[in-house]
Amino acid sequence: MANTATVDELGHSPEVRGKNYLNQTAGVWSWLTTVDHKRIGIMYLVSVLVGFGLGGIFALLVRLELLTAKKTIMDASQYNQAFTLHGAAMVFLFIIPSIPASLGNFFLPLMIGAKDVAFPRLNLLSLYLYWIGAIFMLAAIVTGGVDTGWTFYVPYASGVSTTSVISATFGVFVMGFSSILTGLNFIVTLHKLRAPGMSWYRMPLFLWSLYATSIIQVLATPVLGITLLLLIFERAFHIGIFDPTLGGDPVLFQHFFWFYSHPAVYIMILPGMGVATEILATNSQRRVFGYKAIAFSSVAIALVSFLVWGHHMFVSGQSELSSAIFSFLTFFVAIPSGVKMFNWLGTLWGGSIRFTVPMLYGIAFLFLFGIGGLTGLFLGMLSVDLHLHDTYFVVAHFHYVMMGSTAIAFFGGLHHWWPKMTGKMYDEKLARVGFALTFIGFNWTFFTQFILGTRGMPRRYYNYLDQYQPLHAFSTYGSWVLGLGFLITFICLARSLKTGAPAPANPWDSATLEWQTQSPPITENFEKAPIVTLDAYERPAEETA
Amino acid sequence: MSTSHAEHDHGHGSGNGDHVPHVLPFKVYIGTFSTLLFLTVVTVGASYVDLGHMGNLIVALLIATIKASVVALIFMHLKWDHKFHAIIFVSALLFLAVFIGITMSDTQFRGEAEAIEAKNPVDLKDPFKAERAGDVAVPKAAAAPAAAGSAAPAAGSAAPAATPAKH
Amino acid sequence: MSAKAEALGGAEETKLSPQFHVAHHFDKADTQFDAGRMGVWLFLVTEILLFGGLFCAFAIFRSKYFPSFVEAHHHLDRVMGGINTIVLISSSFTMALAVRSAQKNEKKKTTLLLAITLACAAMFLVVKYFEYSHKIHDGLLPGGNFTAADFASGHPGIFFAIYFMMTGIHGVHVVIGMGLILWILLRNQKNEFSSRYYAPVENVGLYWHLVDLVWIYLFPLLYLVG
Repeated sequence: MANTATVDELGHSPEVRGKNYLNQTAGVWSWLTTVDHKRIGIMYLVSVLVGFGLGGIFALLVRLELLTAKKTIMDASQYNQAFTLHGAAMVFLFIIPSIPASLGNFFLPLMIGAKDVAFPRLNLLSLYLYWIGAIFMLAAIVTGGVDTGWTFYVPYASGVSTTSVISATFGVFVMGFSSILTGLNFIVTLHKLRAPGMSWYRMPLFLWSLYATSIIQVLATPVLGITLLLLIFERAFHIGIFDPTLGGDPVLFQHFFWFYSHPAVYIMILPGMGVATEILATNSQRRVFGYKAIAFSSVAIALVSFLVWGHHMFVSGQSELSSAIFSFLTFFVAIPSGVKMFNWLGTLWGGSIRFTVPMLYGIAFLFLFGIGGLTGLFLGMLSVDLHLHDTYFVVAHFHYVMMGSTAIAFFGGLHHWWPKMTGKMYDEKLARVGFALTFIGFNWTFFTQFILGTRGMPRRYYNYLDQYQPLHAFSTYGSWVLGLGFLITFICLARSLKTGAPAPANPWDSATLEWQTQSPPITENFEKAPIVTLDAYERPAEETA
Repeated sequence: MSTSHAEHDHGHGSGNGDHVPHVLPFKVYIGTFSTLLFLTVVTVGASYVDLGHMGNLIVALLIATIKASVVALIFMHLKWDHKFHAIIFVSALLFLAVFIGITMSDTQFRGEAEAIEAKNPVDLKDPFKAERAGDVAVPKAAAAPAAAGSAAPAAGSAAPAATPAKH
Repeated sequence: MSAKAEALGGAEETKLSPQFHVAHHFDKADTQFDAGRMGVWLFLVTEILLFGGLFCAFAIFRSKYFPSFVEAHHHLDRVMGGINTIVLISSSFTMALAVRSAQKNEKKKTTLLLAITLACAAMFLVVKYFEYSHKIHDGLLPGGNFTAADFASGHPGIFFAIYFMMTGIHGVHVVIGMGLILWILLRNQKNEFSSRYYAPVENVGLYWHLVDLVWIYLFPLLYLVG
């Protein structure tokens, strides 16, 4: 930071130097009533990390219980609650809001050169709804737990279970509104608030993926709303729509649920793909290969995601006709996913790659998403799924996609944008240790589960045959390494807040707009409204390449 | 509706970037309102005519759709609004159709394979037991002396009922 | 009237909606207005899909239990349903006119039209109350609570489950709509709306039309064809 000139290298006048969105106003109340998208993003970030910690503790407990074939630390009903709460906390408290609501909220307006999202107050309302929903879900834990699995399948959830299903589902219902409002806000922001010159094809690809995510959030989440509402009424008043004794259809619940929850898988993965694109582009130091292909494949994934929900139901008793249709349509997801994969590899090809910490996460994403995506094809195949359904193969597959891809991308994005958000650099060495342990621990834990699954170990079982014990124990040891990796990452990031060196405006030499303002940004984002003259990922001095 | 455009398209040279409303003439609203009332009467009337299982449903939905279109196009200004808002609205209906349509591909055809399987029962432990004539190609010359036991593999397919005794 | 509003030039025009300023992150009033409307349209999409789940259930169970649906729907009062249809269409009409008068700076007329809309909404709920109490009295309740004995068909309870869920959620939307209309009515009394700024009136109007639109489908499906 040059203090001698009146205007520094970013064009900031002395009036704004040292001022930023963090120190503009002070006090808890100024945060709780803020409409600044950056502060809301930070509050979301802290909240989803708490959700991640909660889900992570339940995960470690579940793995610990599975260390031995019989009882290890908890009884069977506690085990059912532990895996349910692990799933529900990870899905609804962490992954769905993780990237869009925290990193997306913070960087979407910055990346298009806007001062804020289109509806700042709605943005704050969305955060409050998330908190209210989370409170109902936490209340369920205190008042009897939930043991239905995160899918809340009927008739167990609507009649048999004696746990606090209504509180938990109502919490998810409220959080659904939060998700809808975020998606709606992003769509309008991208349409209406792009800076002059920022055409659709000049946007960073992270924003295309957020746009596709928002489409799903707006179109699919309301169906989850009506599903959970019907479930609550079914449980409270026996209205009978899902109750076979009254003429209802329990499989219909699964259709309703997966019409949301399958697209929700893409609410989780699409932003991760977007973050990975940003990281790969920055650290390959070249423009993204196949910009439009990546952009449109995001939208294509969003649209196709609505046509494949029944592949979760191959053994549910749905008609063979639907199963065949769903299995066929499922393979169409592979096309845009493959397009993305090859374009990422094309971006790396001939790039001048720097192995920064975010880049390590980016490359890990490619590797893990490759495994997660390809094993998804096995499961989409009707005949293969009949064998693998509800085994650890499925568990391993979706952990590779949700955790191996989305969570890894999330943490990659966190390391990528940490200097911009906090104005501090973290300790790269420690961050690398955290990454290495996370990556090793993750594969250790979950690749083992692919093997368990193909050998026939069913998911959600409390006791199991002795023959599976060595692999289960191996997987549990891996989970400790994984947990240690995340712990080190958290310590590394938290420590940087106190001891980290001040971050320059553009520490990674990235080409996108959010790096063209100071770190951390001022409340108005840019001192002068930017006018965009360069294409996406184009650097001002391209001739040096 | 060119007149309605004329009503506001001139004379607002304030130049301060204010929003200028798009006002429709009163008679458009009256016309829409009377159309809606008329169609309500028609749909009630049509329900007294028995058109069969699907007939009444189709007529009712058709009239409702016309009414809904009128409300959306005129009361909700979709006709004069940005095209994109119409795309948003129509996409909702499209995805609703996907939702209902594919779900019904399950509920309307559930359990049909069971009936087919009942007609042709298969023992899962020995799926080839149910071989029928013509499943395996049999040379004509070999088929004739089958009774003498000179061509045991061919005999299996020619007379499935007799084979279990041999194995 | 609008010509009069347009004739008001420069200095006088700023008296319209004096509290209104374009929010700092929008470049001009039109952008802000369009953004709001796009947001509302996206919200309406979510409403359509929320009700869509129930329409899906209706389609499936009607095809499965056709005789039950036919028999059960005869227990709905089509006169009351018809009256409510007309009441709701009228309220939609006055709401649309309220937006128009707000566009034309006719404050008193806007207030009056909003008040009529509010009255129609209240009347809709009163009729609904009589319908509901009649059903409850006859034991025509959803699923497990269905107690009416004189039914020949097998699953009338499913019909009433869908009937109560659909009309119930629709009724909740009417109540929310009344709150919103009251809110803009009070703001209109404070001179907040004019040809310069009437976005809240228009956006509440869009929501209210959707409530009408859903009822346009509910009425024939539930009351007329069953």
